[in-house]
Parts: sequence; structure tokens; C-alpha cells
Amino acid sequence: MIDTIFYGLTIGAILYFISIGLSLTFGTMRVINFAHTITYTIGVYILITFVFFLKWHFLQSAILAILAILPIGYVIERFIIRRLYGESLDYTFIATFAIALIGVDAIKWIWGAAPYPLSDPVGKYLTLGDLSLPMYRIIIVIIALLLFFSLNLFFKKTMVGKIIVAALEDKEGVRCLGIDVNRYFSMVFVLGSGLAALGGVLYAPISSVHPYMGLAVLLLCFAVVIVGGMGNLRGTFLSAFALGMVMSFTARFWPQGAETMVFIAMAIVLIFRPIDI
Amino acid sequence: MDNDKVSLHKPTALAEEFMKIPKKERGAINFLAVATFFLLITPLLSMHRVIDFMIFCIFAMSFDLLYGYMGRLSFGQMLYLGTGAYICGLFVKYVNGNPLLAIFFGIAFAGLLAMLLGLIIVRTTGACFALINLAFNHIGFFLVLSPLRPITRGEDGFGVIASKLGFLNLGSRPIMFVFVLLCLLIVFYFLRQLTSSPYGILIRSIKEDETRVRFVGYNTFFYKWLTFVIAGAIAGLAGSLTALNYNYVNPNSMDVHANVGVVFACLIGGAGHLYGALVGGVIYMVISNFLAYYIYRWEMFLGFSLLLIVFRFRMGVWGYIQRLWEYLATRKGALKFMKKEAI
Repeated sequence: MIDTIFYGLTIGAILYFISIGLSLTFGTMRVINFAHTITYTIGVYILITFVFFLKWHFLQSAILAILAILPIGYVIERFIIRRLYGESLDYTFIATFAIALIGVDAIKWIWGAAPYPLSDPVGKYLTLGDLSLPMYRIIIVIIALLLFFSLNLFFKKTMVGKIIVAALEDKEGVRCLGIDVNRYFSMVFVLGSGLAALGGVLYAPISSVHPYMGLAVLLLCFAVVIVGGMGNLRGTFLSAFALGMVMSFTARFWPQGAETMVFIAMAIVLIFRPIDI
Repeated sequence: MDNDKVSLHKPTALAEEFMKIPKKERGAINFLAVATFFLLITPLLSMHRVIDFMIFCIFAMSFDLLYGYMGRLSFGQMLYLGTGAYICGLFVKYVNGNPLLAIFFGIAFAGLLAMLLGLIIVRTTGACFALINLAFNHIGFFLVLSPLRPITRGEDGFGVIASKLGFLNLGSRPIMFVFVLLCLLIVFYFLRQLTSSPYGILIRSIKEDETRVRFVGYNTFFYKWLTFVIAGAIAGLAGSLTALNYNYVNPNSMDVHANVGVVFACLIGGAGHLYGALVGGVIYMVISNFLAYYIYRWEMFLGFSLLLIVFRFRMGVWGYIQRLWEYLATRKGALKFMKKEAI
């Protein structure tokens, strides 16, 4: 039972990393960024390049992979999404979807379509009585908590964070103060991409790595964002862990149905809470 | 200069002639155009390919009703196609070999599913609508693959052999061809009537500005839901025809990744015109059937073309054809007008 809860916490933490970017980009730019799948997947593949082909240590490869994603995120924002500001949201969605398609194919081209096995980089277990929990999962949960608090600090204490929060509430108002909102939006986008890569890098050792891994995760994170509320940071945090629990408890009794259950939960939330987006 | 300005709005002789034709006959001309087009390309391609093309065009029209007319981008329309295909196939396999009844049930179940899911989906707009559709499509794909495996045979799929019904032997290719062409024409006629009726204007107004339509006093939720159900049912028809055409159903008919095809078709043809959906459907099928062999990186090709469409080519092929026609029309009209002035 405890390990199920713990598993739920791990999944929730991963979902949280990836949903922040989705939630923030939606809250500020009103854009659902399908290209999130690709920053996530490419992060994992860069990690694999370092770990498998250069035989580097997991930690430094992970940090390098996340850093390598940041310019990619910037390029996507600068050359695709910024050009489509103020136009129909459908076009932005189609454009980001197109980027995801291109990215998936590029991955298949460079790394091949076959899945890569990636083992637990820590490999130690924490034993409490008759219960043993993998160290790696504990680290993930701790990172998630740290991230939540540091993001809260960032959004409450720093100037950049305050501007972003203000832009979440009223974009026009912030622009009227003479602040170049687009610059902050691209920061938000890059931050989101980096966090998606972080989620991917941390999730890769406990899941399978293949070019289409992004789609299923994106749909789950989308459910998280819908349940938590678009652009609502605390809501995203809570709903990520709640849906993580839903997944792990479903998986305990019905392993294949875990993802489906998340969507059913999302549908139930949608029935009871109308959303105007 | 002033003359030019006036003449720009003058319809040409040809357009005037066309407008003189009574409305009913104009519809007939449209029909004949669609039918002859598909009959003409049959000798160029082979018959089974053209059947495929026509089924895909039916599907593209159902998507166009949602996206082009109502402005709701669905990334999960394959769900209804797949439902139609599976229900039709299961009906033939377990209940009765009658193909017409099977098609009826395929359409009915796809419509029913759209009715149920529409209650949730239709509340959202924009990219949210697209992703929720995609999520439900994902669930459907999973259900077919895993929990319903005893009935659907999972990845292997199952064969669908419909029985003969008098002269209606769908196993023979020419009869299937005529049958699918009839279905296409019926759907085309139905959607033409629907989109040019007051209801069609209403859904187009919802695309422009839903809040205002609500202010006028219409229950927009109901109309959006109804459109969603109609689009689902037509996709179900396309699915049933797919099952009967291939004599085979497998989860590919519900594949989440295949949705991009119909989006591409609708956009390249020109969203918001039925002809656009037809043209786009044919273009997509030609590319995927003949050029895919030469295009090694297929998804990358699709991605770059979608980007190109979004940035530079939003009107689609049909939009450009229309503009060309208008240009030619006004030019000819201008010449004629100037001649008259000279005399």
C-alpha cells in the first residue's frame, strides 16, 4: 500500500515538472504548446547520447541535456510561436504539432526508432522494515518539492517572477506599464521547456525511451493542467500529485488502464467545472 | 481609374450566365462535376485507390464541417471513424451479414458516441477542444487494443465479409465503387444543404464570434453539440465503408497518429469549403499513395508542409482557385465593360 502511494508521488512529481511549462505557456500566451512533447523527448535522447555513447555519468549528462534544451526552446518560441501571436489559436496548435512531427522524425532519423533501455542510475534501496523503496524515486519526489518551493519563491520575490504572475492575470495591463511582455513570455517558454526536459530526464530511467514517448505524457499533463486550472501554479501542483495517485492506484488493480483512468478523471472534472477556454 | 473600380465589381458574362441557371440545376451541375471528377481519375489511378480516395473525402468533409464551418479543430476525429469501422465489422461478423444494416449501425453508434462525448467536449474551444478529442481518441485506441481484445482481436484485427444483398454485392469492385460514389454524393448533397441553410449560417457565426450568437438568443451549446454529432456520424459512415472496402478491421482505423492526415487534407484543400475538403482529400491521398514512396521522411514532410500552410498558404488550394476565378472573371468583365464604353 505504501509503495503504491509512493509510486503515485513519483508519477505526480514527474507530471508536475512537465505540466508547469504547459500551464505557464497557456496562462501567459494562451497557447497550448504541443511542441512540449518534443523538448521532453529530445532532452531524453540527448541524455542517452551522453550516457550510452560517451559513457558519461548520469548526473552531468542530465544537467547537460537540460541545458541543451534551452536554446531549442528559445528557437521554437522565437521563430514559430511569436510569429503567430494574436492569430487564431488553431494555427498555433497546428504549428506546434507540426514541430512535434518534425522532431519525432528527426529523432527517428538520428537515433533510430528502436527503444533504448536505461537503468536506474542510483540503484540503491531504502529499507524501512519489510518495505524497500528505490532511492531514485525518493530523490525525484524531493526534487519536485524543492522545485515547488523555489518556483514559489521565484514568482513571489523576484522581479521577473512578479512580472510573469502579473502577465498571467492581465497581459494588457502589464504591457501598458511599458514592459516588453514578449521577452518575458520567451523566458517562460524556455523555463517550461527546461522543466519538461528535467521531467523527461528523470522519468527516462523508470520508463521506456522511444520516439513517441512524448505524446502519451503530453496528454497526461494536459489532463493535469485542465484539472488544476490553466495558469494556476498551485492548482497544477496539487492536481499533478492527485492524478499521479489516480494512476498508481489504478495500476495496482488494473495495470493497462492507468492512463485511461486519468482521462476519465479529467472528463468528470470537465463535467462539473465549466471552463471558458 | 474610376471605371476600373466600378468594373471590378461587375460579374462576367460567364458568371452571369451561371447565376441565371436556377438554383436546383446549379446543384445538379455541382453534383455532376464531383461525379465526373472521380470517374475521370479512375482510369488514371486504379479503381480500388479511387474508392479509398472517396472514403477519405467523406471523412475529410466530416472534419471540415467541424473545423472549416464551426471553427473547432478536432484532433480526434479518427475515434468516430474507428467506431464506425469496428461496429460495422462486428455487426457483420456476429449478427448479420447485411451490409446496409451494418453501415446503419456503424453510423448510429458513431453518432451515439459523439452524442455522449460531445456533451463534455463541446464545452471547450480552441486547442483545448483539439486535445480533449485527442485524449478520447487515445482511450478508444487503448480500449480496442486491450480490454476489448476478446471481441476485437487486438492488433490482429478481424475479417469482415458482408453477404450479398440482391445485386448489391459489395465484394465486387465496380459495385463498391458506385456504392461509395453514391454515398459521397449523398453526404456532399446533405452537407451542402446543411451549410447553406440558416443552420449553416448559424454555425459559421459561432466560428466568428460565439458570444454574440448567444446574445442574439441562440442556445449555442445545442448547435455545437448537434454539429459535433453530425460530424461524428459522417465519420462513422466513412469508417463503415472502410471496413467493407478492405474486408478487414484493425486498430489502425483508430490510430491517434493518423489524425494529422485529415487535418493536413482539410487545410491544404482550404478549410470552410466542401470543395476544399474534396480537393484536399484527393491531394493528401495522392501524396500518401504515390509520393510517400519517394519521400523517405514522411512525418518530417508532413510537419514542414503544415508549417508552410500555417505561415504562407492559409487559403488552401481551393481558396486560390476561387481567387484565380474571381481575378479572371473581373478581368474579362473589365475588358467587356471598357469595350461598351468605347462604343
